[in-house]
Amino acid sequence: MRKVALVGAGVSKFGVRKATYRDLIWEAGKACFDSVPGVRPKDLDGLVVGSVMPERTAFQSHISSLAAEALGIRPSTLSARTEHMCASGTVGIRYAYAFIAAGLADLVMVLGVEKLNQPQGEEAILNMGTGVDREWEAAFGLTAPPCFALAAQRHMAEYGTTEQHFGLVGVKNHTHASKNPNAHFQKGATLDQVLGSRMIASPLRLFMCSPITDGAAAVIVASEERARALTDRPVWIRGTGQALDGFQLTSLHEDYAHWPALKRAGEAAYRMAGLEPKDVDVAEVHDCFAIAEIIAYEELGFCKKGEGGAFVEAGRSDYGGDVVVNPRGGLMGCGHPLGATGVAQAAEVWAQLRGEAGARQVPDAAVGVTHNNSGMGEHVVMIYGRE
Amino acid sequence: MKTYFRATDPYPLEASDWNKLHGFYDALAAGRLVSTRCDGCGHVAWPPRGFCPECASDRYTWVDLPAEGRIHGFTVQHAGLPAGFTGARVFAIVKVDTHRIFSVIIDADPSTVSIGQRVTLAPIRVDDDPKGNARWLPAFRPA
Repeated sequence: MRKVALVGAGVSKFGVRKATYRDLIWEAGKACFDSVPGVRPKDLDGLVVGSVMPERTAFQSHISSLAAEALGIRPSTLSARTEHMCASGTVGIRYAYAFIAAGLADLVMVLGVEKLNQPQGEEAILNMGTGVDREWEAAFGLTAPPCFALAAQRHMAEYGTTEQHFGLVGVKNHTHASKNPNAHFQKGATLDQVLGSRMIASPLRLFMCSPITDGAAAVIVASEERARALTDRPVWIRGTGQALDGFQLTSLHEDYAHWPALKRAGEAAYRMAGLEPKDVDVAEVHDCFAIAEIIAYEELGFCKKGEGGAFVEAGRSDYGGDVVVNPRGGLMGCGHPLGATGVAQAAEVWAQLRGEAGARQVPDAAVGVTHNNSGMGEHVVMIYGRE
Repeated sequence: MKTYFRATDPYPLEASDWNKLHGFYDALAAGRLVSTRCDGCGHVAWPPRGFCPECASDRYTWVDLPAEGRIHGFTVQHAGLPAGFTGARVFAIVKVDTHRIFSVIIDADPSTVSIGQRVTLAPIRVDDDPKGNARWLPAFRPA
């Protein structure tokens, strides 16, 4: 297999945007092309677009071709859309990686985009129900918060994790987001604010949840030859893993405090990269809810099982700790425009490993991990490394 | 001004014109909880399925499940519910026999719901489908 690198990245402003689906594609595409001065749209030979529900939010299918035309890309080796709910972006990066590693493509943009906000807010939430089983789950009104709330309750009962631990994840990520001009929320948050925010699904409060957000992100993925010609600081894809335990809630591990698929996806990625959890300097993990970040610490091996609450409390997932988790502000601070999230995570790691993350820079970051999930039982992990 | 519908019906099409597993809903309307037992290997599934993941058979027989179970886990959602649903809403995993069933707990003060609590099947009638067929969902209530 050929070596593959990220050579460019850019994200749109995330938030409740006064913008169309196509406006967001233009914003992320512009930011991404601006990051690689030697690349014009027609130089790319492929495009993969991660997007979950434009059929619902923009009444639009045929997404990859729409985005290619919007950006002036003329795919000659690869044109595809990936839909894997909240992990669609990273699943798209894996496709580009595989095509390039196999020699079937050389220079591919992966773009993630979602326009989730609608004139009626309840409809935006109704649309999120498409991500769980319509007949056996969504018909009851289920969306993501109760699923992760069930995991939070199990973690509290089994390991003594507290609401304060969940609150500290919210404080950390909102604080990080305050240094990210593209984040949905930039005001930071105090522990009192987080613990005093309204209850969404017990025990998860508003500031322990990611919001409904519009946004887009793009990266350019290149073969080694093209990467070396385009930049002196390529960010190499060193490992990747994907694993699934199941789709319906009742198909997952009986104890929702355990996410075996994340452990397997992480182990596969570490093995491929020849690295261990202790080698990771910066991690973008899927904190759709605070409990998810705590379980990610454990299943990704940053701490022992059950110690995720103590890990955040001791500051070990923040600057100066073992590994800086979610420096861009995570899904809680940046928002979660589904298909864009995984690509935005990669864009952050790209900037961090090049030393270009500004006020968010993790000192001397050499190895970065991204973790993107679609439900509690489906996980994708990527490991990136600088030269 | 014409108002366009931008959301769709949240409930499944349950009638025989639309759903090969309509037998589940026929039984539910009569107050029974049933599921599929594979004719090939005897595996009893939850939820019902038209293809056996154990032996790849597509032949099955409807079997009754107990109409009673215990709450295995639950959460109360207060805010952020989809259009057409209101809080406080109790979402639960109910253990029925060896099966874990996702459902909602109705007719209960959320503050009194507890893990291990005994609950019984309480089919709820939701909006009819666009052809006027009655539709039911398998909810539970405290025993």
